[in-house]
Amino acid sequence: MKRVIVITSGKGGVGKTTCTANLGMALAQLGKSVAVVDADFGLRNLDLLLGLENRIVYTVVDVVAGDCRLDQALVKDKRQPQLVLLAAAQNRTKDAVNPEQMGNLVREVAESYDYVLVDCPAGIEMGFQNAIAGANEAIVVTTPEIAAVRDADRVIGLLEANDVRSLRLVVNRLRAGMVQEDQMMSVEDVKEILAIPLVGVVPDDEKVIVSTNRGEPLVLSTDVSLAGIAFQNIAQRLEGEDIPFLDLSAAHDDIFSRIRRMFRNKNDQRR
Amino acid sequence: MTSDSFVSASVSHLSPPEDGGSHSDLQIRFKSEANRLLLLMPPDGDGDANVNTWDELWSQLKQRLAGGERFWQPETSVHLIARDRLLDARQLQSIADILGSVQLRLKRVYTSRRQTAIAAVTQGYSVEQDPPVAHLNQSANDVNQPLADPLYIQTTVRSGMEIRHPGTIVVLGDVNPGGTIVADGDVIIWGRLKGIAQAGASGNQRCLIMALRMEPTQIRIANLVARAPENPPSEYYPEVAYAMAEGIRITKASAFKIPYGTGA
Repeated sequence: MKRVIVITSGKGGVGKTTCTANLGMALAQLGKSVAVVDADFGLRNLDLLLGLENRIVYTVVDVVAGDCRLDQALVKDKRQPQLVLLAAAQNRTKDAVNPEQMGNLVREVAESYDYVLVDCPAGIEMGFQNAIAGANEAIVVTTPEIAAVRDADRVIGLLEANDVRSLRLVVNRLRAGMVQEDQMMSVEDVKEILAIPLVGVVPDDEKVIVSTNRGEPLVLSTDVSLAGIAFQNIAQRLEGEDIPFLDLSAAHDDIFSRIRRMFRNKNDQRR
Repeated sequence: MTSDSFVSASVSHLSPPEDGGSHSDLQIRFKSEANRLLLLMPPDGDGDANVNTWDELWSQLKQRLAGGERFWQPETSVHLIARDRLLDARQLQSIADILGSVQLRLKRVYTSRRQTAIAAVTQGYSVEQDPPVAHLNQSANDVNQPLADPLYIQTTVRSGMEIRHPGTIVVLGDVNPGGTIVADGDVIIWGRLKGIAQAGASGNQRCLIMALRMEPTQIRIANLVARAPENPPSEYYPEVAYAMAEGIRITKASAFKIPYGTGA
């Protein structure tokens, strides 16, 4: 079965869109064909993060209305031809389509791609219902903050109630130093409450902001970053590989040596 | 935490529910009777804002079926007590399908609504209109209703979920912050209680709340309310909360004795 994964969180600003862009790109780098779908009508951002804003001609709403064919609306990424974007309409609201139309559309996209990643808007209203229609898996993104975790918990309940059973957790923006000083919830604390399998931990990284502004996902960057590696690891775990979690708790001075080591290993594997 | 520690200073009184406690009847429930299973729908309040919509009923039904997954006996026949609720053919079909997914068979529909009866007949279920409804569910004015059979549910009660039952509730799993359990009888949480639990919701102060790990947002017994202490204990034990004249107390399960006599 084709994998349709909705990336959701409940709370806004925890990194759903960043995750979607980076995971989409990382999966494409693994040789999979990937379609990323922005379901955040009226507040679309995914195109910005992928740097594809100026190439959008048709949107989801045009496809649903029958104003264009599906393949016309899929924007191919110039850097990574395995990745396409289906953009949301910016001039409409969440009520522009209904879950049934969205579900049919996503299933139609899924016919020709290995992965469909749906970027879900914040909240649990119509936009959420649209985004989860047609999904058979979900990645719940949360930050180690009490409000984000509470909202993620609510969203997990709603996903289960809507028969999305395969759920995985990404803890984003973790600051290992603060966890060590007991000033931030640890990954264990989050896992204990949410009780779904963890698929990745992404450290807080300033490079994320830079890459967002540039419209170039971290995983594409030649400049190695811990967050970028974390996203690549998540992509590999989605592919069923057993990749150990990054050790984020170590002191900062030896991080770079570890990254270099990790990269050397990866290059060795590819050869 | 020492045994018999108070959760004091935070005890206050709830005003009794205005509708005489019938609110606990607002969720869907199962009842086994002889060799069949009754599926009881809450009554349709005719525009009453507190009443469940179809979507809510549907998610309650799914929740109850999933929470008791291991216990459904295959091929049990189910009698749907729809009361005065309107169900169209599509909704009846959805109910039959989801029951079928755990190998329960919808056989008979009891209803007091003509449209529901017609929809059920056209789908081939046997239908009984009116009389059985009256005596299968005593009306809410019946003061001394016996408690319903305990509800056993295996699930994580997540934020936003509320489980109500006119009897004792046993949860195998955690109750997360933002989750709510309201029972007319006792509440037993085989897991962590971090949300809100209310025992004896219809007024029985002798009801208890038990949890393997008691870290509630709030606990309520009958009309008493208590918060968890400001400073969480360094170690957690299975604990029991019970009502005393001066408020709700929590004690280690190993030290708890069921009070004799009046219970207070």
